[in-house]
Amino acid sequence: MTRFGYDERSAALLVFPVLAVLLVVAAFPIIYSFWVSLHDIVLTRPLRRPFVGFDNYLRIFDDARFWTAVARTTVYTLVCVAVTTFLAVLVALLLNEVFPGQRLLSALLLVPWATPSVVNGLMWKWIYDPTYGLLNGLLVQVGLLERYRVWLGDPDITLLLIANAAIWKQMPLAALLMIVTMKAIPEDLYRAARVDGANIWQRFVHVTLPALRPGLMLVLVYETMISIRHFDLFLIMTQGGPGDASFTLSWLIYVETFRSLRFGTGAAMSYVLAITTFALSWAVIRFLGKRI
Amino acid sequence: MARITCAALTKSYGAVLAVDALELSIGHGEFMVLLGPSGCGKTTTLNMIAGLEEISAGRLLFDETEVTWTPPHKREVAMVFQSYALYPNKTVRENIAFPLRLRGQSASEIERAVGAAAEQLEITHLLGRRPNELSGGQRQRVALGRAIVRKPSVFLMDEPLSNLDATLRLSMRGLIKRLHQELKATFVYVTHDQAEAMTLADRIAVMKGGLIQQLDTPEGIYERPANIFVAGFLGSPPINLVEGVIAGGAFTRGDFRLALTNPPQEGRAVVLGLRPEDVSAGGDVTARVELVSPLGSETHLDVLAEGGVALTLRVPKEWRAAPGDRLSFGIDPARLHIFDKASETRL
Amino acid sequence: MKKPLAPRVTRAILLTLFSALFVLYVAGPVAWLVSSSLQSEAEITRVPPNWLPQNPSIANFEAIFSAADRVVTYENRRQGEALTSSFLPSGAANLLPAMRNSLVIGLWVAALNLLLSVTAAYAIAVIDFRGRRATLYTVLATRVVPDIALVVPLFLVIRNLGLINSLGALVVTYLAITVPFTIFILISYFEGIPRDLYRAARIDGCGHGRALWHVYLPLSLPALVASLTFAFLTSWNEFVFALVLTQNVAAQTLPIIISGFIMDFTTSFSFVNAAGVIAIIPPVLMAVVFQRYIVSGLTAGAVKG
Repeated sequence: MTRFGYDERSAALLVFPVLAVLLVVAAFPIIYSFWVSLHDIVLTRPLRRPFVGFDNYLRIFDDARFWTAVARTTVYTLVCVAVTTFLAVLVALLLNEVFPGQRLLSALLLVPWATPSVVNGLMWKWIYDPTYGLLNGLLVQVGLLERYRVWLGDPDITLLLIANAAIWKQMPLAALLMIVTMKAIPEDLYRAARVDGANIWQRFVHVTLPALRPGLMLVLVYETMISIRHFDLFLIMTQGGPGDASFTLSWLIYVETFRSLRFGTGAAMSYVLAITTFALSWAVIRFLGKRI
Repeated sequence: MARITCAALTKSYGAVLAVDALELSIGHGEFMVLLGPSGCGKTTTLNMIAGLEEISAGRLLFDETEVTWTPPHKREVAMVFQSYALYPNKTVRENIAFPLRLRGQSASEIERAVGAAAEQLEITHLLGRRPNELSGGQRQRVALGRAIVRKPSVFLMDEPLSNLDATLRLSMRGLIKRLHQELKATFVYVTHDQAEAMTLADRIAVMKGGLIQQLDTPEGIYERPANIFVAGFLGSPPINLVEGVIAGGAFTRGDFRLALTNPPQEGRAVVLGLRPEDVSAGGDVTARVELVSPLGSETHLDVLAEGGVALTLRVPKEWRAAPGDRLSFGIDPARLHIFDKASETRL
Repeated sequence: MKKPLAPRVTRAILLTLFSALFVLYVAGPVAWLVSSSLQSEAEITRVPPNWLPQNPSIANFEAIFSAADRVVTYENRRQGEALTSSFLPSGAANLLPAMRNSLVIGLWVAALNLLLSVTAAYAIAVIDFRGRRATLYTVLATRVVPDIALVVPLFLVIRNLGLINSLGALVVTYLAITVPFTIFILISYFEGIPRDLYRAARIDGCGHGRALWHVYLPLSLPALVASLTFAFLTSWNEFVFALVLTQNVAAQTLPIIISGFIMDFTTSFSFVNAAGVIAIIPPVLMAVVFQRYIVSGLTAGAVKG
């Protein structure tokens, strides 16, 4: 029976504005982008836009830059997710304790979260600065380093240095999620473990860790989805360099689209990235959902 | 004025039928109790009457007006919830005034009505407080106040006393009964508590599996249960149910025989129902006493009769018995309930 | 019984140690940014670096707030400031208007976001309507696509509509990227409000509009504040869309102008740092002031999974 009663009419009215906005600004572009990805659209030749089917996709997979970008993105994402999660658990363990100053530290935790990514990039780029940066100054003063180094110019560590900046900004939200998860662990479990003679490490491994599973899941999925699409820091800090040391997928898409103005392949790459992100988060949920 | 008519009222969730073509007519000013175990469809029925759940099929009428598709805020019914459902951010006064405010009544009218309702429920001294500063019983009074202040002709109550402790429940039961008499409104009351149903109801609809099992006055339901389910659901301690066959005009199970006044056909498999209190001193039934539970005003005896028939008896406290004693008692054949074993219905 | 002394001392030492490390890691970089912004160019280019400014100066901030009054020409830029030898970038005058753009966009996004997401979240969380699940999935699915993938088609769409450089286009874009998350926050929060309150409100005479206004909104303050803050911060901080969708200076937002300074090698280090400090202050203030609400709002529903 298709009768639209008061509930249906109200819901339609309440939901319509959001759906309209999302339709225009998200859904339509997503679909339009698929159309673009099937055409050879180059902005420098605006009148020629032949239909090429899946050629753009096939061309990507023949492109050496694409595979470099996949490798860089993989390393970058793995480092970001692993370190963020690890730090988040540590910070959550600290802030879940009750001690003087704990509230102040909790407020401090929101500072990186609120920092604009452009300022974050600027800040770390300045810290890494080869001549006047804090990192060189600090390490030389302490004696850990003999001579100033060109940090971001070293292809072996560029990716890690950018990851460090990203982790600094995204760790707080992960830590907040871990803290809420920890607060939900019943105190009785710890008392029972104590009575059973478990020491602090055993309590962490056998009580805390298993109970953190839902929060951990959320953090892993969220951080994966976020890290894989990072872009701002790469533009500000290295522009893909030195060489191709920080040439990630997001950066490749940007270069292909806005520097080479090949919109067709750019859109195809976007689709590959979107589907990969989606598949990965799904896989993480399925795989870790059972394991942890 | 409100008569409520449910005509083939149905609620389905996918393939599951929560309420199955319910036919029920509730008269003006009647106190109707929907009684049954959880999941029997009683609350769903109430929600459909309130408009809180969409009706899947069938019709609902208030007097002659069809309200099947009328949203709840246009139905002019009042409702009281098990969880009280007081607005935590409003004071008691604001809670009670809320329905009147929504109807655009003037401040002085509201003031007068809230005052009168509060007086009736003896909560005038609580008007300035917030719900989290009240006890459970006080909260339920406020919830009642919010309902009666509108002077609606239909009152719906969803297990209103279930969250209260035993003594409070008794006094609130009295209060609700008094309100019904004073307001002369139609009450539909959902509960799983048979004692509440028996004391409050003009009529009880016993429900199970989305169907009405029996619709009758409390006495009728207790004295002439329509089937084994209804018989077992009412009464404490519950009715004794014994399986057996009809042989020679008597209920028979092994060596246990009870002559019947109006026996069904010979050889039929039946279930015998005997209320624990329907026994008299001295008679031709003998049994061994297994367990004695004195309650002060009366005593409950668990006995084992011939043929392995276990019975619970509710007897006057004067009956002295100890475990192991042999006890003789009488059973009035007119007070026995005989059910068909296959269909579980009364014969 | 009192706990033995040794474990308590160990705990205190560990907590102090980890607290110190935490503060160093979280606040250290920002502190240095602030410290750098208060140094003169001569001071900031010293080796080894000064941890704290020797002669704290707010010259950079003065420059930002007075840049509009001064016409930066090739000549007076070259000549610089003799005392501080700092170079004002030619774009310094764009900083304040950009901040105004960011503020205007942020406020519009926050307000419209709240309006849109509150109504949608109420419908999805509370009303049992056909298409409820489909709506929810549509809303969440739009966020699975990476921004960089959306940027290209959105750029084409907006360009064809002739809305490049329009603040309105940015506001609508930011609405689309913030709304899924705020709807998610609000749904989690609304679902935590007892269902019986909704039923009571409906019985008392509320339609959906009044039930939302009289019952749900007053009980959802933390989630509302968290949503507002999130929407404002996201649009204040956003970079990629602003980069692509605005091309002339008058329409650009703070992150774009600042990134321009970063790429411009002639810009004074201390000036860029000062610009960074300016951009960091409003969001950080907002986050710290609303800390309690943000934490409970952002994490509502997280434990439910």
